[in-house]
Amino acid sequence: AVLCVSMTTPLQSFRGCAVREFSFVAQKPGCKGLHITTEACWGRCHTWERPILEPPFIHRHHRVCTYSRIRHMMARLPGCLPNVSSLYHYPMALQCHCTFCSMEDTECQTF
Amino acid sequence: KEGQTPGCHLYPINVTIRSDRRGTCKGTHLVYACVGYCESSAFPSRYSVLVASNFTHNITSASRCCTISKDAKVKVRLDCPRGRHYDEIEILTAKACRCDMCRKSRY
Repeated sequence: AVLCVSMTTPLQSFRGCAVREFSFVAQKPGCKGLHITTEACWGRCHTWERPILEPPFIHRHHRVCTYSRIRHMMARLPGCLPNVSSLYHYPMALQCHCTFCSMEDTECQTF
Repeated sequence: KEGQTPGCHLYPINVTIRSDRRGTCKGTHLVYACVGYCESSAFPSRYSVLVASNFTHNITSASRCCTISKDAKVKVRLDCPRGRHYDEIEILTAKACRCDMCRKSRY
């Protein structure tokens, strides 16, 4: 969805998957941290589990809200040691959608 | 009705079971699935995750999905035409639901 979640959207009842502002501290060994504000993904995807007769006896439809279109961004971290590159790469979400969590390019975690 | 509010809820489904392709013996039973909307997010991975994944996992997904947290077996009676005999087949039904760990879908 291209819809951006903003303060005017009632987040408690929001369903779907949207671009949302995200702040983090970019850190790597040998440099000082840099506060970065970017766009990431947030939402609630339609998921279910239902009984079936055949093994594995549960049919599952699990999707997560993640990036569908990405812009690759680059920042320069301050205070890096002479032998450490100051470049820090991170993804910015242009668009988000509900899909499988792909372990090819994603660290799939629960919380 | 399903999906009116976020979260993961019991959802009734009618299951019809046939003993063979022609449906000689069949039975219908109401069972429960878990259906809903659970929270998930995706954001740039921390540097430690990047290093651990050899810089392939540049996105981290922190997600929950609608799961069956408690289930029970129910017996479904299959009725056969003109016959007194019948079979019983067991099927699962959800008793409780929870937004929990997302798993790889098997289909």
